[in-house]
Amino acid sequence: MDDKLTQFGQDVWWLVLAKVLLVFVFLVLMTLFAIWYERRVVARMQVRPGPNRVGPAGLLQSLADGLKLAFKEDIMPKMADKAVFFIAPVISTTCAFTAFAVIPFGPTVSVFGEKTPIQLTDVPVAVLLVLACSSMGIYGIVLGGWASGSTYPLLGGLRSSAQMISYEVAMGLSIVAVFMTAGTMSTSQIVDAQKDTQTLTLGGFDLTVPGWYAFLLIPSFLIYAIAAVGETNRAPFDLPEAESELVGGFHTEYSSLKFALFFLAEYINMVTVSGLATTLFLGGWRAPWPISLWDGANQGWWPLLWFTIKVLLLLFVFVWLRGTLPRLRYDQFMRFGWKVLIPLSLLWILTLAGIRVVQGSDLTVQARLAVVGGPILVALAIWMFWPDKRKAIEDPGVHGVDAAGRIGGTEGFPVPPLNLEVPVSPRAQRVLGERETVSTSKES
Amino acid sequence: MTTDIAAETLKLPSLDYAALAPMLILFGVGCVGVLVEAIAPKKARFPVQLVLAVLGIAASLTAIVLAAGTEKVTAAGAVAVDGPGLFLQGSIAVLGLVALLLISERSLERGGAFVAQAAVTANSEADRDQATRGSGATEVYPLIIFSLGGMMLFAAANDLLTMFVALEVFSLPLYLLCAMARRRRLLSQEAALKYFLLGAFASAFFLFGIALVYGYAGRVDFAGIHAAVLDSPNDIALLYIGLAMVAIGLLFKAALAPFHVWTPDVYQGAPTPVTALMAACTKVAAFGGLLRVLYVAFERSQWDYRPVLGAIAVLTMLVGAVLAVTQTDIKRLLAYSSIANAGYVLVGVLAISKAGLASSLFYLVAYGFSVLAAFGIVTLVRDADGEATHLSRWAGLGRRSPLYATLFTFLLLAFAGIPLTSGFTAKFGVFAAAIEADQTWLVIAGVITSAIIAFPYLRVVVMMWLSEPGESTPAVSLPGALTAAAVTIGAAATLLLGIVPQPLLDMTENAAHFVR
Amino acid sequence: MTTADLLLVALGAVAVGAGVLVVSTRHIVRAGLWLVVNLLAVAGCYLVLAAELVAWVQVLLYVGAVVVLLLFAVMLTRAPIGASDDLDRPRWPGALIGGGAGLGLAALFVSGYRWSRVDLPSPGTATALGEQIFTAWVLPFEVVGVLLLAALIGAIVVSRPDIGSR
Repeated sequence: MDDKLTQFGQDVWWLVLAKVLLVFVFLVLMTLFAIWYERRVVARMQVRPGPNRVGPAGLLQSLADGLKLAFKEDIMPKMADKAVFFIAPVISTTCAFTAFAVIPFGPTVSVFGEKTPIQLTDVPVAVLLVLACSSMGIYGIVLGGWASGSTYPLLGGLRSSAQMISYEVAMGLSIVAVFMTAGTMSTSQIVDAQKDTQTLTLGGFDLTVPGWYAFLLIPSFLIYAIAAVGETNRAPFDLPEAESELVGGFHTEYSSLKFALFFLAEYINMVTVSGLATTLFLGGWRAPWPISLWDGANQGWWPLLWFTIKVLLLLFVFVWLRGTLPRLRYDQFMRFGWKVLIPLSLLWILTLAGIRVVQGSDLTVQARLAVVGGPILVALAIWMFWPDKRKAIEDPGVHGVDAAGRIGGTEGFPVPPLNLEVPVSPRAQRVLGERETVSTSKES
Repeated sequence: MTTDIAAETLKLPSLDYAALAPMLILFGVGCVGVLVEAIAPKKARFPVQLVLAVLGIAASLTAIVLAAGTEKVTAAGAVAVDGPGLFLQGSIAVLGLVALLLISERSLERGGAFVAQAAVTANSEADRDQATRGSGATEVYPLIIFSLGGMMLFAAANDLLTMFVALEVFSLPLYLLCAMARRRRLLSQEAALKYFLLGAFASAFFLFGIALVYGYAGRVDFAGIHAAVLDSPNDIALLYIGLAMVAIGLLFKAALAPFHVWTPDVYQGAPTPVTALMAACTKVAAFGGLLRVLYVAFERSQWDYRPVLGAIAVLTMLVGAVLAVTQTDIKRLLAYSSIANAGYVLVGVLAISKAGLASSLFYLVAYGFSVLAAFGIVTLVRDADGEATHLSRWAGLGRRSPLYATLFTFLLLAFAGIPLTSGFTAKFGVFAAAIEADQTWLVIAGVITSAIIAFPYLRVVVMMWLSEPGESTPAVSLPGALTAAAVTIGAAATLLLGIVPQPLLDMTENAAHFVR
Repeated sequence: MTTADLLLVALGAVAVGAGVLVVSTRHIVRAGLWLVVNLLAVAGCYLVLAAELVAWVQVLLYVGAVVVLLLFAVMLTRAPIGASDDLDRPRWPGALIGGGAGLGLAALFVSGYRWSRVDLPSPGTATALGEQIFTAWVLPFEVVGVLLLAALIGAIVVSRPDIGSR
């Protein structure tokens, strides 16, 4: 298995330098482009033009902004922990750049007579490296928030650490399915594993699907996509920098280049999770179906283009989400992560492992269906017939309003009581629940 | 796909499920208990959990009885199923069952001995409120079951890593349970924190010791270590210091001086039923581990560790006996008594012989029953603020409730080692084994300290019977069926093992052979 | 001395230095940061010893999650910027004991192994590790699962103020 990885780590020094430069330039360009792209797309969604002054179609707008940012005054808050304040954005950016080292851009090409893959390096546990880098990136945000010596950034930092740790768990679990199917954690081999089309036999029909894990492992892909948005602190999960609640979140006190570094890190992280999604689920640099009929599609430098297009499409989804969805409330968001995403991932991994065990065994088709479908049916039956704990709601006699004073069932809107009596607050109800002597009629 | 190839080459080691069943049943029941917490309605949880736990332990005990006579190493060498292992597992199950009865008592205090919300600030209004009214946490049942399962694995572990994992499995729930006493919350929280920190420290020693022993022997399984002792080309200092550190971890759990300092505070602060569990079951498990390490892995370096551990035994007996004299709290008194008793067991262990092994096993069981009954009675002597543990409050108890005072007197006499109690048989056994193995100095120290520690016991007896009951002498609560059963079983076992010890002696004699 | 030896020594020095700073610094958050440095250095040692999976898992879990949670807890309760005087204790007894124990163990290892050569085992790949865990250590591994479950339940029981109230 490891012999395929021997092509890495053999490059001559200038080739390594060139690759580092390629990754760096790619990421910076992608960042500059993504900022423009995001502003234009959001603008289009909101029926306005967006930046269109600097350069053709406003393409140079982000470059201009970046330059302007560099010349702004660098403010160091008085209460800040100087060293940590300085080092936090550096950590963020470094980790963001490092993670991209193992993302494969393309197949082996020939550069000035040297044969080399278009990928900085690969290791047997490459995906873990990406995850490790993104988890280290949390430090930048947490420390930035703390070192500012001010309340909003601290709250932003805390939120972000809780959020990123929670969603990293879901993200890691979603990737496990890919490891199980591909049998490797190295990025280049995962791309290789998605090369072949799969033939599924469903009730006598042969279906040919691409080997992309986005199709084979749909639940994993969905969970990954959601977790990725949470992991990158993007809308609708951008609670660490929720401007309506926390001013600017963890980077409120940052200015000038340090702020630019945070900004850079955020966009690079977006590119990284998109790149990782491309690699893990969308066939990596391999050309999508109609193009792949052309023999030359997966050779030479072409794959770089397919890869970039796939990443840009994913970035579009990021922007689309931001343009469409309102921000979640913090507790809803955490509950969603821990009580929905993580259990679902675990369940899916369990199911997948079961399916693979059944596949490996020499059972008949009927027996396989029974083994796979049986537990699902039992689970469904339990879920259907589980006694509903919610008490039946008494009809208060007013059309459409239930006993809890809500319209539209327990999930509906609360409405004021019709006799204008002031209800006891839920908290007081809990405290006084046992005494049961509280009368609210005096207050009315 | 590549994993298929891997799946074919991966061969599970042979697992003898019948031999592993005692532990697996308990772990399974613990997991079911967690599910019960999640699913069952609040009112039903307590009875369901209680029945589940009792059935689980009973099933586990059945599995142990069925496995009796097995001698094998299974699960890729991780677990040794042999006479001492099964005997210790059986004692843990039986003692755990009796302790479970104490733990489940809910008639003495509304909601039982455990608090529902351990995080409420101690002495706050909410805290006082929940002390008198709130129902108790039922999560304690899965925790106790996990703990018992860990103890069983600990007594049967056949390599140091499995032993470490088992050590953590049985310790962690105990740390938590200590923090959940219904009354005297601060004391309880302090006890838990102290136990946790010192326990983590001891675990670290244990782990480092494993690393050093591995550095010497290149193996962590006991057979491998046994083969490597004296034969390995590596520096012998690695072995000595490694063994010392492993021993520190074990001595800490068994509460032997100078690693005993946590014992009085933790025994005092923890809910009394949990104290009983710790004094009975943890001691059995800890000595089970110690026996296996000393007898199976390091038997060939016995001439090196014997004097050191002998000194520790003497020190333990002395510390336990002398400090017991100065105690004014009944739980602390029993804690020091348990320290001293650990010293006596160590005397038996250090005989490094079949007789030593058999007598240690007997001692552990005999002491376990007595201490369970003793702490069971402590839970009964109470006033409006909970248990009255100060010794002065016990003055004149003999007049108020002669039955329980008699029982407690009997148990104290058993601790002191008076004939016709199990304490005498047990002490006689370990001392005889030690003399047989030419460890007379340990026996001399043992006899002297026995005389010293009889004094505090007798002082309590005198106080209960010869003082007039004062204003503050609390009444003894009428025990519920569960506590009554536990106390009866404990006291009856103490009596029976004193009068007709032969069946159990035969059992230990037959069991006393380790498989390597 | 090969490059690997040099790297190992350098990383070890970093780990020890960072470890000393963890206990000696008076800035509580910085103590956490030095802990990060220490853990990273140890991960580096694993990498040099060809235990790739362990190294990255160490970074992912200890650096990326455990210490972040530590810092999280510190910041939730109190995280003063600047030195905290109450972290300043008479250090000499502790330093003596810690330093003495460290030096003693170092001496033990030096005397135990001196210049004996130990060949590196085969690299700690995921496959090798998985095979070990699921063959030789399968029972302890599964029991660790039980341990974590117990810890989880225990943490909830001890810390949640809103469960099981009535």
